[in-house]
Amino acid sequence: MNSTSAAKILLDVNRIGISFGGLKAVQEFSLHLPQGGLYGLIGPNGAGKTTVFNLLTGVYQADTGAIQLSGGNLFGKKPHQITAAGIARTFQNIRLFPSLSVLDNVRLAGQLHNRHGLWHTVLRSRRYHTAEKNLCDKASELLEVFDLQDRAHELASNLSYGHQRKLEIIRALATDPSVLLLDEPAAGLNPQEKKLLAGSIRDIRDRFGVAVLLIEHDMGLVMDICERIVVLDHGITICEGTPKEVQNDPQVITAYLGSGVPGEG
Amino acid sequence: MTQSANRSGTVERTGTAVLPWGANGFFGMMPIIVGIGFAVLLHFVLPKSIGPYYSRIVTDVGIAIILAVSLNIVNGLTGQFSIGHAGFMTLGGYVAAFVTYYVSSILWESTTRHGGFLGSGEWLFLFSCIIGGIVTAIAGYVVGLPSLRLRGDYLAIVTLGFGEIIRVILQQTGKVIDPEAVKSATWSQIIPPPVGGAVGFDGVPKYTNLFWVYTIMAITLVVAYRLKSSSVGRAMISVREDEIAAQAMGVNISREKVRSFVIAAFFAGVGGGLYAHEPGVIISPNDAGFQRSFDYVIMTVLGGRGSISGVVIAAAILTALPEFLRDFAEYRLIVYALLLIIMMLVRPQGLLGIHEIWNLRRKPKSPPIAEEVK
Repeated sequence: MNSTSAAKILLDVNRIGISFGGLKAVQEFSLHLPQGGLYGLIGPNGAGKTTVFNLLTGVYQADTGAIQLSGGNLFGKKPHQITAAGIARTFQNIRLFPSLSVLDNVRLAGQLHNRHGLWHTVLRSRRYHTAEKNLCDKASELLEVFDLQDRAHELASNLSYGHQRKLEIIRALATDPSVLLLDEPAAGLNPQEKKLLAGSIRDIRDRFGVAVLLIEHDMGLVMDICERIVVLDHGITICEGTPKEVQNDPQVITAYLGSGVPGEG
Repeated sequence: MTQSANRSGTVERTGTAVLPWGANGFFGMMPIIVGIGFAVLLHFVLPKSIGPYYSRIVTDVGIAIILAVSLNIVNGLTGQFSIGHAGFMTLGGYVAAFVTYYVSSILWESTTRHGGFLGSGEWLFLFSCIIGGIVTAIAGYVVGLPSLRLRGDYLAIVTLGFGEIIRVILQQTGKVIDPEAVKSATWSQIIPPPVGGAVGFDGVPKYTNLFWVYTIMAITLVVAYRLKSSSVGRAMISVREDEIAAQAMGVNISREKVRSFVIAAFFAGVGGGLYAHEPGVIISPNDAGFQRSFDYVIMTVLGGRGSISGVVIAAAILTALPEFLRDFAEYRLIVYALLLIIMMLVRPQGLLGIHEIWNLRRKPKSPPIAEEVK
């Protein structure tokens, strides 16, 4: 989409970097994600994609650079503060709360914007009941949107793999994000499910008005739905552009296929 | 996405109105009022019908439940492994005993019981238990801080160390001042605090009875259940399940950890106050030791992490059983160890796992969600 360059930049990441000991995991990573944008982040295994996510969500603290979300500084903030500011994520290896029910997984994420204090909880005040009711309504509504409502009371660990992936996305959406980071949402899904996922990622973007940044190894999916793609290799951004530009970039081709670098498609 | 195979599983229904004691009373006070009624009943009926010996066991059971259920907030809900709970209990007990003893001495110039049932002496006793709880909660905050950086075994060692520190400090305290001499006490008698040193705090007025124990137990249970079944409890459980994911969902894990330590410590302190004032008990520094802490850990492990009713059952059994097996008292620890090993092999999730006893027979069906929260 060409119009995106004109749209308002929502998530503005400038030259962030982190090194673990001598290993420079990510260097000078920049990203300008506009409102409602759907960007992809790709690269061979070990390129630093998930590290970028961890930097954006505060799991790791960047050594250098700047991160801003609609003008507010996020650099150096703690993960829960970043989530509260509006960046939600899913995990590559699913991290649901296995012994909570599906509904509770979603409610847990929803309570970020629906707080009531300890005293209200202990005294079961009116405020407690309203807050819990709002939470429950909101969570069930989300589950209904994604067609998981009849599994609301099942343990999260009892869901099928595909449903667990879906629940991760629902849970992330329950925090009311403006930016959604999806870490390999298609991993482990069959072709049929992948197709549905591609459609639903677009739907999510439109319906919830979130900007999406997607890590994915499935090139078909990425090229199909992403407006712009950032390619990482050894922690360095080697290319940024539209799917077409990226596909024809010699450096990208080298990174994936070329001389002696173990690549994976 | 796909239609997955039908699986069944029981579910911990947090936040739903499945409690036998309904959640929606007069300002939500109903369950506590019922609890107090139950305590009054026990207090006036039990000693007459089963005699003082068994009443004493029932009292001990009540105190053990307060301690085990409060420990379960840290160990079961938030998943932080604390083995210093007896340290909190003993600290609270000493503070409460100190207040009762010396305030009685000053007010009434004696430390014998003052006033009858619900008389002025008993209110002083309640007040001092709460002071004990508050002081212990502050200690809980201090002990909770390392939990932000330490995990698993390392945190366990810190909490173990806390209990030992309390024990050693209490051993260094001064002699108890006679009630008549309190008003003319010199500074050298007051510092270090005159709470009896290694021999224990003798002469504490014996106010603890079934009524107070079961009233406070009811409050502890209601608070624990309400925590567990609310947003606050879900946040705590999420810390137990997966800290990274919890943070990503906006849970401030530092706050949840410290908060659970503070709440648990408060109730441990109040429970300690009850213990210190129990007839036939002389609270001593050794109560803060590892062994008693371990007793409570066993209760929570046997009951099931996070299951309040499971822990209540385990606490009741493990407190009453040694009394009925007095002849084999020396073998108690061997039996405990065996019991733990067998449980770990056969039922690692504890007696009830994460469930409550009233959820066990419930088949997982999907009621209309609108009815979930009234």
